[in-house]
Amino acid sequence: MPVIPVAGSEDFANVPTSPTETRRIVGDAVRLHDVDQSVIDNLDPLTYEVVRHRLTSVTEEMGEALKRMSGSVVVTDCNDFDAAIMDEVGDVVQVGLYNTELAASLDMAANWTLRHRATRPGIGPGDMFLCNDPWVGGGLHQNDVSLFAPLFIGGELFAWTGAVAHQVDLGGVSPGSWSVGATDVFWESIPIPPVKIVEAGEIRDDIEDMYLRRSRVPKLVALDLRAKIGANNVAHDRLRALCEKYGAPTVKAVMRRVLNDAESRLRAKLRELPDGSWSSVAHQDSARSGDRGIYKIVCTLTKTDDKLVFDFTGTDPQVDGLINCTYAGLRGGIMPVLLTTVCGDIPWAPGGLYRCVEIISEPGTINNCTFPSGIGKASVASAWATTNVVTECLAGMLDAHPEHRQRLMSVCCGTWDFALLAGVDQRGSGFVTMLCDSMAGGLGARTHSDGVDTGGLACIPMGRVADVEMNEFSFPMLYLWRREEADSGGPGRYRGGVGASSCFIPYDSPLGGVHLVVSAPGKALPLAGGLSGGLPAGTQHDVLLRATTVRADFASGRIPSTLSELGGQTEVLPTHHETDLGASDVYFTHWQGGGGYGDPLLRDPEAVAADVIAHKVTRDAANEVYGVSLTADNRVDEAATEAQRSALRLSRAGLTEGRQEINP
Amino acid sequence: MSLFIDDNLEQHDDGQVTCRQCDQVLGDAQSQLRDARVTETAPRTAGPSVRESPTLFADRPVILRRSFCPRCLTQLQAEIVPADEPSARHRSLSVKP
Repeated sequence: MPVIPVAGSEDFANVPTSPTETRRIVGDAVRLHDVDQSVIDNLDPLTYEVVRHRLTSVTEEMGEALKRMSGSVVVTDCNDFDAAIMDEVGDVVQVGLYNTELAASLDMAANWTLRHRATRPGIGPGDMFLCNDPWVGGGLHQNDVSLFAPLFIGGELFAWTGAVAHQVDLGGVSPGSWSVGATDVFWESIPIPPVKIVEAGEIRDDIEDMYLRRSRVPKLVALDLRAKIGANNVAHDRLRALCEKYGAPTVKAVMRRVLNDAESRLRAKLRELPDGSWSSVAHQDSARSGDRGIYKIVCTLTKTDDKLVFDFTGTDPQVDGLINCTYAGLRGGIMPVLLTTVCGDIPWAPGGLYRCVEIISEPGTINNCTFPSGIGKASVASAWATTNVVTECLAGMLDAHPEHRQRLMSVCCGTWDFALLAGVDQRGSGFVTMLCDSMAGGLGARTHSDGVDTGGLACIPMGRVADVEMNEFSFPMLYLWRREEADSGGPGRYRGGVGASSCFIPYDSPLGGVHLVVSAPGKALPLAGGLSGGLPAGTQHDVLLRATTVRADFASGRIPSTLSELGGQTEVLPTHHETDLGASDVYFTHWQGGGGYGDPLLRDPEAVAADVIAHKVTRDAANEVYGVSLTADNRVDEAATEAQRSALRLSRAGLTEGRQEINP
Repeated sequence: MSLFIDDNLEQHDDGQVTCRQCDQVLGDAQSQLRDARVTETAPRTAGPSVRESPTLFADRPVILRRSFCPRCLTQLQAEIVPADEPSARHRSLSVKP
């Protein structure tokens, strides 16, 4: 059924609002703290740096608090969360280093709350607001539940703090809220716009019940809620102490200057770069189970003097499926790339950085969709694809500068390899979990070095994979292997980092098997593009083997190390799929590496040989893609390599030997 | 004075874009790869990293589209995309007056 417009949904279609306009709307409903420009101007440099670094460390402490209280492996071991400190109108002064995509829209949620909740139910000391409505902000899909809290100093709203984390299940048709058959949002977890779930320091039972009742694992989600409350409490304790020591005006002046510094330093860097425009495209295959379409996000980045314009004109219309993202997802696709590739030496204060950015996007497109489009997979679908296309555009811009080009990176990983397990665990309890192994994606190649193998995801600087043993302890599964996969990094003069694969069986569940939800694009075409003649990374590859010999193999003390050893029937899985894994079934999932940089035929043959020895590249790829011929003991055969490269130069360009006469 | 575009391309004051490997003129500021040699082949020709045929997953044909310097045959751009989509990967650097 096509998406039908819903009356009133426009109230939640949030777009950023200026501080001046926000103050006008809020009026006298809440007293918003402010500081005179003279205090900002008179800040001494030492105080500025001390307080600024204290703000950074507070976001790290928020993360630590979250991890220590959460019981979800997604949070405790994989860092799929983030935290931020915002000023009184919601501008983000400091974002944490965890999942920057998640925190990129906390400002929108806090600001919307100010504009829509200041009068009823009111905003007061000790309150905290919960939101998982990506049209409002605070996260990119419904699983990203944010909790943001106003901090009052002297009766005035001084600042906001916010914590956001991926919750493993909030209802919807499929376990994990990842409804692979979804055509619109009503198949998914129903979004919750900002609600006051903590009032004057106490959890409101009625609101919490409304929130948890939808989940298949309410106890786990309840624990995460308390972890986020704890993170905000820690932040408020630290910020109050900071205000007591230095005075609220001084702390606020530092916050203002951080925003201004971030803006001015980004503008200064942009002025060093040549003006121009860079266009690129990012694809996704399949919008839902059974769908065989390919969808595109197009971006043209125009840099003029000290301003960036991201124009998404030409992007496909929103689709019936779960891959769309809202405007919050679009912003969440831009900011992480800006932070990691352009702002490594600039304060991570998105509130200041956004002042240098203009976004042109048509509502109703796959990365700026309208309600009630399906968005269950938004964070790793259209938001992630936005990250990919923005990565290519910003890389092109940086490449034109002799110094700044050293910081560019090809697209990393390309997508999230989503595999979700659900059922009854080895302790007899219901469980749902998203496997986060693909947090070890391959990073993109750079202008002077290979991408880091299984180095992570650029948008989640502190992302990590859970130990195999932790997953086996927590869930009814047993690994055959988790390992890097040769040839998964995009070939190039500098090679993209390789991705990896996991292979496991259901194990020790009283039910004998587990439920499996798969949502992993990049099978029809790779999603991590290369740069400057570098090739894309490998494609996503998921295989389900039914009725294998794995149990007998284990019983005889043998651990299979390849799929061909397992027997059974092989199913190459489509992008979206939902099924049950039986006791003798084996699931193999292979995620992507990073894109390459430069022509593979210009790669140092000795580096290719080293890659073959290290199992990063196969001998076949060394010969067919890099044109490097190796001896039986993997040493470079220089004469054969020269001949092979000459032949490849012609053949890949569609030419034959006769081409030589016009190539003196 | 030339302006660095990427590993393989540079742009000159007059807007002319040349190959950094062999100095072949490839285009201008508005169309940097105007004169590049373009080929379209099956995705599997990218190497063993393309694990399966796209026809297993999608109805639209998918291709590996590559651009080469017509002289030295350096690979300047490579993308695996739907065959019915023209390339959306373009760059244009301003020419200083």
